[in-house]
Amino acid sequence: MAELILTRNFHLPESRTLRVYRATGGYEGLRNVLAMPPATIIETVKKSNLRGLGGAGFPTGVKWGFIPKGHASPVYLVINADEGEPGTFKDRYLLERDPHALIEGMIISAYAIGSHLAFVYIRGEYVHPWRVFSAAVQEAYAAGLLGKNILGSGFDLDVVVHRGAGAYICGEETGLISSLEGKKGWPKLKPPFPAIRGAFGAPTIVNNVETICHVPPIIKRGAAWFAGLGTATQGGTRMYSVSGHVARPGVYELPVSVTLRSLIYEHAGGMPKGKRLKAVVPGGSSAAILTADEIDVAMDVDGLKNAGTMAGSAGVIVMDETVSIPEALMVVARFYAHESCGQCTPCREATGWIYKMTRRIVEGKARKDDLDTILDVARRGAGTTICAFYDGAVGPYISYIEKFRDEFEALIPHA
Amino acid sequence: MSAPSGVRAQFTPEQLAEVRRLQGLYPDKRAALLPVLQLAQDTFGYISLETEEYVAGLFDLSPAHVHEVVTFYTLFFREPTGRHVISVCHNLTCHLLGAPRVLAYLEARLGVEIGGTTPDGRVTFLSVECLCACEMAPMMQVNDRYEGLLTPERIDRILEGLR
Amino acid sequence: MPKLTINDKEVEVRAGTNLIEAARQLEIEVPHYCYHPGLSIAGQCRLCMVEIGNNPRPQIACNTQVAEGMVVRTETPKVLEARRSIMEFHLINHPLDCPVCDQAGECWLQIYYMKHGLYEPRMVDEKVHKPKAVPLGPHVILDVERCILCSRCVRFCDEITGTGELGIFQRGDQSEIGLFPGRELTNPYSANVIDICPVGALTDRDFRFAVRVWYLETAKSICPGCSRGCNIEVHYNLRRPHHNQGRRVARLKPRYHREVNQWWICDAGRYGYKFVDDPSRLLFPVRRVGSQAVEISWEEMIPLVAAQFSKYRPDEIGVLASPRMANEDLFLLKRLVDHLGVRNVDFRVPPRTPGDEDRILIKADKNPNTRGVELTGLSSGDGGLDARRLMSAVRERRIKCLWVFHHDLLASAWPEGEAREALGVLDCLIFQGSNQNGVSPFAHYVLPSATWVEREGTFTNFEGRVQRFWKAVEPLGASLPDWEIIARIGQALGLGPMPVKAEDCFKALAAGVGAFAGLSYRELRDTGKLVPSEGGSPPPFRTSPHGIAPAKPALERPAGSDP
Repeated sequence: MAELILTRNFHLPESRTLRVYRATGGYEGLRNVLAMPPATIIETVKKSNLRGLGGAGFPTGVKWGFIPKGHASPVYLVINADEGEPGTFKDRYLLERDPHALIEGMIISAYAIGSHLAFVYIRGEYVHPWRVFSAAVQEAYAAGLLGKNILGSGFDLDVVVHRGAGAYICGEETGLISSLEGKKGWPKLKPPFPAIRGAFGAPTIVNNVETICHVPPIIKRGAAWFAGLGTATQGGTRMYSVSGHVARPGVYELPVSVTLRSLIYEHAGGMPKGKRLKAVVPGGSSAAILTADEIDVAMDVDGLKNAGTMAGSAGVIVMDETVSIPEALMVVARFYAHESCGQCTPCREATGWIYKMTRRIVEGKARKDDLDTILDVARRGAGTTICAFYDGAVGPYISYIEKFRDEFEALIPHA
Repeated sequence: MSAPSGVRAQFTPEQLAEVRRLQGLYPDKRAALLPVLQLAQDTFGYISLETEEYVAGLFDLSPAHVHEVVTFYTLFFREPTGRHVISVCHNLTCHLLGAPRVLAYLEARLGVEIGGTTPDGRVTFLSVECLCACEMAPMMQVNDRYEGLLTPERIDRILEGLR
Repeated sequence: MPKLTINDKEVEVRAGTNLIEAARQLEIEVPHYCYHPGLSIAGQCRLCMVEIGNNPRPQIACNTQVAEGMVVRTETPKVLEARRSIMEFHLINHPLDCPVCDQAGECWLQIYYMKHGLYEPRMVDEKVHKPKAVPLGPHVILDVERCILCSRCVRFCDEITGTGELGIFQRGDQSEIGLFPGRELTNPYSANVIDICPVGALTDRDFRFAVRVWYLETAKSICPGCSRGCNIEVHYNLRRPHHNQGRRVARLKPRYHREVNQWWICDAGRYGYKFVDDPSRLLFPVRRVGSQAVEISWEEMIPLVAAQFSKYRPDEIGVLASPRMANEDLFLLKRLVDHLGVRNVDFRVPPRTPGDEDRILIKADKNPNTRGVELTGLSSGDGGLDARRLMSAVRERRIKCLWVFHHDLLASAWPEGEAREALGVLDCLIFQGSNQNGVSPFAHYVLPSATWVEREGTFTNFEGRVQRFWKAVEPLGASLPDWEIIARIGQALGLGPMPVKAEDCFKALAAGVGAFAGLSYRELRDTGKLVPSEGGSPPPFRTSPHGIAPAKPALERPAGSDP
């Protein structure tokens, strides 16, 4: 059984408290870390092969390295706790059960990138996680772990906890930044990228909760250790959120080399009620769906990319034989239509239109050409938008229809 | 919780101090707009146009730009709500595990359509996108807390607890 | 300056120029909606895709700045396919309103669809419905369904007027442009959003259902509403005289000028043309004897008026010139009054309500040519009476003959009773103007002027910029340009030779008045020139950061994406 890093304290009563976090080794050695050269920390994170765990899978150390050297303005660290990808709930667990892991991760990460002001953007619906995390921040301040001259290191860091107000697009890094700035969550044009010009016009690093929680163990136990836990291109473990038709839905922390088959059958208890597996969404709803034949794939960023899908947020939704794939697509299409921010034309217009078409399919009112129209419209918009939201919608639009075309065609009345 | 109609949307001196404190946390005071709107909603129960104009004044923003923010986000209510707000998730996992039945059951028990408020002002009943609690599907948010693994019995017990 | 290649042509441009402007310098059009050189970059429409270097994916041109050695292609199969896709996205929910939409003929959805779309429509679902025909203010009306959410209007109200009335509410395909509920779009530049709206979402209430744009013709002109001298176009309809309630001038549009008004015009100027085709126009020379007013011909009128100047001594004659007159008119008038030895000449009639001014375009002086009057020397000096004293002298009967150009003395800041008394007591009152006003009923001789759109000429704006305006339509009735009336009277008084066209006047002006030395109509072209002795002023607000756009007439490239 692989070692648990992120979830090691989850089972402890009051794991959210500073007392318990410290009792299990939390904040130990932090003072020494704050004496290391920041460049060393960045180098270590690079070598660990830690990749972003919010959805994009970008190498974390490389992202940190984009902060320009010798800049005059402040640098901001922004934690993306706007968990919203359907099928994903791991960050909620971290906020509720081990908030100090995130705080310690923030201290080290902020120190590495030269930030003295960090924002934690928590989705508005996460009320209890917000309360728990805010209490932990208070504890940290009271213990001299945040604020001025942390542990006598000379490093200052303030943390502002900021609540969202209900918009999935605020999980997109520049949509989040816009929302943080007090505006609608409209993603920003790139270039410039946030590391150059982000929140409030200053260099900004946006990282997912889980990604940052990995930083203290990496720094304290070494890059090679972390890299060795995973695959050649992605180090460590990650928390897989498993839900749907499985016996034991929940969060599973496993090395990223775990296969989808193993995750479903060995860890999550397999299919309940003796049903057969039909399909799996492997990385949140934006990831292309996999059929029951395609689950012998490693659940790391590159493994899933090579399988034509993506690791995304590691939200695994398991579907058994009773599921109507056209209906599932309609539900997902409804989601994208509702969450499109509306800023750019292809996404704004196509997500609404495609939802209407998927609805007509499910209602038995589809036309012969609708399936090809959906595929064509999906493809025409892909890559043309301000952010990757539409590309996330295109994942299901295309994969559900292409891999289960018969099921869709069966619903289309013949002339 | 909703405010009586006719109440003027103004913060108390303590709340104004809180507004200023919030504005001071950020490099640009405009960033405090969402927390201040949340404070307004918590205080007045919802965000009226009058409240939007009032908040706009606190930020030197045109009311149109505050209205943009209020209409963009789903958690800002522009009309009074019931004393309790129930938001049922209808996204993928919840849908597969029975959200349509939960919605139908609540419609019948509450006697109100999705999006509506019960005539006695007790419950506003909404259908929402993924709340990221799929491990307890089908689930709903009841005011501040998540309630999952819903069955008719569980739903009944929850409703009984809502005054 | 970076050198780059666009469609195999090399061009060198200032650093910081975006690819739309760089292409424009090679006269390559990159289609776009949300981009506007006078506003910030939005990058929302996604139409301006181009291929850059080896990047397999087309990029938007508006948000890409030139780089040395960049290779750009704007007409590759990928780009053309991207344009076709984006056109389809734009039209998914767009209502088929063309038959009832004022924008037809100058609509960028129409234009780009015909050029870059031409696909078979396949959207059979119900379109999203939104409010239609919503008045936003006195001048602008909104159709939310037609809106393509390019956000130009929002950015205009934020960045140019700083009033922030407009926003985009909600999200996804439920997004709607609008005002804060209960408010109005009343800033003094509100109608500019009509020009920059690429489609028929924001249209002009004044122009609503008036006349189809393909019947309109255009003349370049200058707004006579204040001393800013905003460059404009006059759009007039002669082809369908039964449309637009028979009015010839259909609308005014701003014309781009980098220094004077950039892309904008104030609402007052935009709608300040109504007097042209108005029933109050003076159409024929009129002689009043007692209470009898008789229309006569110019052949009869000219000798009558000329005779008046012989009847009185020069010091018994007064002339109130107008800063609404063109330089050509003023110069001839100066020659005439000098010839006659008349020294009681002025132009300063104070308005009853002082004009407002702002830091954008609007000037307090609501006349287009005050500098012109000053430079041609038609203000009192040399011992002549200024306007105020002139009017006192009239009441005291020291001045017996008064020639008033355009002014409505009863609407001035002078006490109305005094003005009335003065007008009533004159032996000879000559009124020269385009419309009836408080003075014309008192006049013994009414000389009908052509309005500025009915002749050509020049105005000199507040900073000394001499700018040409061209003729759009023929003078109504028997009205004539001011300079021509003055010339005929001058000729009758032995002041020859007389000019035959406005340019003759200007040539004489340039030769005769030092301030105008070296200027000519040819020199002035359509951007005007500063009087050499004047320094000019800085542009009204920040020069566009996106590069200079060439001035092209509005109807050639419909008001929308190009200045």
